[in-house]
Amino acid sequence: MMLEVNDLNVYYGAIHALKGVSFQLKEGEIVALIGANGAGKSTSLKAVSSLVKVRSGEIFYRGEPLTTVPPQDVVKKGIIHVPEGRKIFPRMSVVENLEMGAYVHDNRDAFETDMEAMFERFPRLRERRKQSGGTLSGGEQQMLAIARGLMAHPQLLLLDEPSMGLAPIIVEQIFDIIRDINKQGTTILLVEQNAQMALSIADRGYVLETGRVVLEGKADDLMENPVVQEAYLGGH
Amino acid sequence: MKTSLQNSVRNGVVFGVVIVFLALIGFLVIAASLLQKMVGNPVGLTSMPSAASLLVFLGFLHLWNGWRVSHNKEDIDTNVPLKTRILRGLTAGVTTGLFLLVYALVVGTINERGVDMRVYLSMLSSQSIDFFLFNQSPLVGGLIQFGFSAAAAVVGAVLAKFADSGKDKVKSIQKAAVAWSDKSWLGKVKTNPYVSYVLIGVVLLLLVLVPRQWGAYWNYIMGTVGIYVLLGLGLNIIVGLSGQLVLGYVAFFAIGAYSFALVTAPDPHNLQFNFWIALVIAVLVSALSGVLIGLPILRLRGDYLAIVTLGFGEIIRILLKSDWLKDFTLGPRGLRNIAGPTLFGREFIGDIDFMYLIILAVLLALFIARRVQDSTVGRAWLAISQDETVAQATGVDTYKYKLLALAIGAAFAGLGGALFASRNQFTGPEDHVLMVSINVLCLVIVGGMGSIPGVVLGAFALKGLPEILRELESYRLLVFGALLVVMMILRPEGLWPAKRPNLEVKQPPPEPETDTRPAAIGGGS
Repeated sequence: MMLEVNDLNVYYGAIHALKGVSFQLKEGEIVALIGANGAGKSTSLKAVSSLVKVRSGEIFYRGEPLTTVPPQDVVKKGIIHVPEGRKIFPRMSVVENLEMGAYVHDNRDAFETDMEAMFERFPRLRERRKQSGGTLSGGEQQMLAIARGLMAHPQLLLLDEPSMGLAPIIVEQIFDIIRDINKQGTTILLVEQNAQMALSIADRGYVLETGRVVLEGKADDLMENPVVQEAYLGGH
Repeated sequence: MKTSLQNSVRNGVVFGVVIVFLALIGFLVIAASLLQKMVGNPVGLTSMPSAASLLVFLGFLHLWNGWRVSHNKEDIDTNVPLKTRILRGLTAGVTTGLFLLVYALVVGTINERGVDMRVYLSMLSSQSIDFFLFNQSPLVGGLIQFGFSAAAAVVGAVLAKFADSGKDKVKSIQKAAVAWSDKSWLGKVKTNPYVSYVLIGVVLLLLVLVPRQWGAYWNYIMGTVGIYVLLGLGLNIIVGLSGQLVLGYVAFFAIGAYSFALVTAPDPHNLQFNFWIALVIAVLVSALSGVLIGLPILRLRGDYLAIVTLGFGEIIRILLKSDWLKDFTLGPRGLRNIAGPTLFGREFIGDIDFMYLIILAVLLALFIARRVQDSTVGRAWLAISQDETVAQATGVDTYKYKLLALAIGAAFAGLGGALFASRNQFTGPEDHVLMVSINVLCLVIVGGMGSIPGVVLGAFALKGLPEILRELESYRLLVFGALLVVMMILRPEGLWPAKRPNLEVKQPPPEPETDTRPAAIGGGS
C-alpha cells in the first residue's frame, strides 16, 4: 500500500472537520475523493501533506508514519500538494514559479531539462515564461500550479479541485493531462466537486459527507450507484 | 467647450482657495522672504519682503494655473487653438482673482477698522495684510491682485501653447541625442563594465571627503539619516521581503541601544566594556531577542501579527521605564555616559569620526541586505510574502525563514540602536517611542517596499528633508506633508520601487475565462 489513512480526526477550533476518515492508495492508482462543499475533501489532502494538524488517527506513506512530519519534509518524501484555487505565486514569473517547484531539489542541470519537459507538456507556459503568474488566465494558472508540482518529481501527487472555476473545455484539457501524468507513473489523489469528471479518470473513489466516508468502491461502480447519481451526478 | 470652461473655473477655484489659505497662515510672507534670500538680498528681522518678490511667487502660481487649464484631458490632441487657450486661462485667472479680491476686501476692511486678527490667526498681522495689499487700500490692492492673477494666467496658457508645439521638436532632438551618444564614445562608456567600479569609487571618495566639509550640524543630521537607513534596511527585510507586518520594530532598536548602554556606562553596572565588544554584544542580543519573540508570534498572520508586535514595542518601552526594573535600567532617568568608539586605545568621538563609523555600518548593512536578498533565502522570503500556504506546499520551511528574517532585521536595528546610544552618550525610554516604528515603516513604504535603494531614498526623504526644510520655520510640516502627498500621487509604488529582474511588463490576461463550471456539480440541490 502506498498511502494508508486510518481513522483521521481533524478540528478547526471547535469544528470537527474530519470524523474518522480512512482511505488507501495503491501504487500507480488515481483515487478520487468526491463530495459536496465542506465534506472534508480538501482537509483530507491537507492532513496528508501536514498543512493542518491531525488530532488523532494515522497516516502511513509506504509504511512510514506521516502525521508528525513537517510539511517541508513531506515534500522531500515525494508527496506534492497542488492547492485548490490555482494557487501560484502571483508576483513571480512563470519560470520563477517553476523554480519554486524544484525548491527541494536544488539541481541546476536537472532543472533545465525538467523545465523543458514542462514546456513540452504545457506549450502555453513557454509563451508566457517571463510573465508574472498573476497575469495568466485561469486555465494557465492551473496548468502552472500543476507544472510547479511536477517540478518536484512527485511520487504521489495531491490535486485539490483542478477544475475549479474553469471553462469546460479547459477542464477537459486539464483532466487529459492528469491522466497522462498518471500513465507515466505518478500516483494521484484527486479531490473534486466535479464528480463526473473525477470518476471518469479515477480507478477508485471515496464519497465524503460532513467529515465521514459514506461510500467507497471502484469508480465505475460508484458511477452506477443510484445514491451517487442522485446526489453528485445531477440525477441522470 | 462647456466642460473645458467648467474645468477652468474649477481649477481657478482650487488655486484661489489655496492662495487665500496660504495668505491666512502667513506663508506668503515666508515664501517671498525665501525668494529674496535666494537672490542674495535677505530680509531684515522686522521688515517685510519687497512687493516684487510677492509678485514673483504669486506669478508662478498664476502661470501654473493658466498652464494647467490651457490643455486638459478632454482634448484629443495637443493642437488646441490659441484663442481657446486664452479664454480658458482668462476664465481660470479671473476665478482665482475673484477669490483674492474678496479676500483683500474682507481682510483689508477688518484691518482698517483696527481689529487685531492675530487673536484668531497668529500669523495674520496688520503688516502682513498690508503686504498682501501692496500697502494700498483694500479695493486698490484687491484689484491689483485680481488683474495680476488674470493676466498671469493668460500668459501661462499662452506659454503652454508654445510648450506643446515645441514638444515634438524636443522629442526628435532627444532621440537624435540618444542615438548619437550610443554611437560615440559615450555609448562605449555606458556599456563598459569598469564604469560601475569608477562610479562606486567616486561615491566612496565623496563619502570620505564630504563629512570633513559638512560641519557638526550636518554630520549630526546625516548621521541620523544613516541610522535610519540601518533601521529601514532591517525592517525592509521583515516587511518588504518576507512580508510580515511587524509594527513594534522600535523594540529591537531599544534592546540594541540599552544592551550597548548597560555594558559600557559606568552607572548602574559599571561594566565599561570596550566599544567594539559592546557593539557585537548589542547586535547579538537584538538578533536573539528577535528569535525569542518570533518563536511564539510568527505563528500569527497578517493583522494579528501587526497588533501583537505593536503591543510588544510598547511593552519594552514601558518595562525600561518601570520601577520594577529601576535597579537594572535606571527607569525614566535613562543611561548616561555611554562609551564612544575607540581605536587602538585612541578615542575618536568627534562628529567626523562618528560619521565615518555610521557610513561603514551602513555600507556593511547594504552589502549584507543585498547578498541575502539575492540568495535562496531571499527567494524563500519572496514566496512566503506572496502565499504562505503555497510556499509551505512547495517545501519551504516557512517558520524557519520567518524567524531568520526577524533575526536579521532585529540585528540591523540593534546595530542602529547601539550607534544611536553611543553617539548621544545617552539613551532613555523616550528615545524608543512608537513613532520610531512608524517612521521606519513610512520610510520603507515611501522608498518602495522590498527595494534597497528605496530604503536609502526614503530615509533621506523622511529624515533629511525635514531638516533641509527648516528654513521654512513653522511651515516645515505643512510643506513636508504636501511633498509626501505629491510623492504618493506621482510614485504610488515608492520613490524607487523594487525591480524584479526577469519579469516582463505586466500584460492583461489574453483570454478571460469565466466561472462556467459544468452543471453537474450543483446537481445535489
